[in-house]
Amino acid sequence: METGGTHIIKRHKRHGIEAFSKEKLQKSIVAACLSAGAPHGQAEIVARHVAESVEEWLEDRPEVTSSDLRLATAKQLKKYHADAGYLYEQHRMTI
Amino acid sequence: MDITSSLAAVALIALIHASFQLSVSVLTLLGSHTIGARMSHKKVLSLISSYVLGATTMTLLIVSFAALIFLQAFGTEVPLMAWAIACAVVLGIGVAVWLFYYRKGAGTSLWISRGFARHLTSRSQKTTHPTEAFSLGLTSVIGELVFIIPTVVLSALILIGLPGGWQMAGLGVYTLFSLLGLLVVWALIGSGYSLSKVQKWRETNKRFLQFSSGGALIVLGFFVYVAKVAAEVAGVMS
Repeated sequence: METGGTHIIKRHKRHGIEAFSKEKLQKSIVAACLSAGAPHGQAEIVARHVAESVEEWLEDRPEVTSSDLRLATAKQLKKYHADAGYLYEQHRMTI
Repeated sequence: MDITSSLAAVALIALIHASFQLSVSVLTLLGSHTIGARMSHKKVLSLISSYVLGATTMTLLIVSFAALIFLQAFGTEVPLMAWAIACAVVLGIGVAVWLFYYRKGAGTSLWISRGFARHLTSRSQKTTHPTEAFSLGLTSVIGELVFIIPTVVLSALILIGLPGGWQMAGLGVYTLFSLLGLLVVWALIGSGYSLSKVQKWRETNKRFLQFSSGGALIVLGFFVYVAKVAAEVAGVMS
């Protein structure tokens, strides 16, 4: 499922640009919630809410970097599940 | 040094190795991805255990390889020059750890090649089979080789001075103590402890870990220099 006309600029040039996918974002949020110990049902609900908020944030942005998208998602996710938001934010900063 | 003192020294040196964080970071990521991918607890446990087994195997191999090289080069009597060079390496890397170990900014990013860090991150995400987890464990120890060279070199130099059977015991002591950090995180993930709490603790205490690892290497370098090099030189001169 692709939504809007927003394009995501990946961190590395070889990965290029890809269209924003709400489904892909939701999956990554669910994974972060489960890693933080949230039950499946809660993870799904939180992911849906956060993905909608991020989609709204993207409405007037034709292009964003994958890092900006991660930060914006982590910020929204922290409102619903602080630990999951923290893990989401830390993903690229752990190693 | 007698056998007990040698084994105690190897254990202390291995604890410095245990304070280095690359293997722990990869284990945290592996745990996070496997739990996030809705794998069963049994599968998660199998993957993280294979990872720890891989790190154990590579640690054993690296220390025994270094000991073999030194044994071939020096026999059981290590020359003074070798101790002096080892001390210089320990002190140099101790200072480097103080200066460079963690990157600036949030998170627990280490001063390793970004390409290698991305590779480890992506491999930990794609690991679904115990064999892959095992090789990830092997690779993570190689990745932190630059930081563990001092502890490996000093332990190997001490080990070759021990009688045959005790060398194996020393190897076991080094491996066990060097993996303590990893074993603690393995037990935490296995018991269902929150990964975000583990990562928060690591991020909060990263500067302390950096200071203590670098400081311990510097103290160790001075100690070995005084106990081995300076003491022998003073003995020759008196």
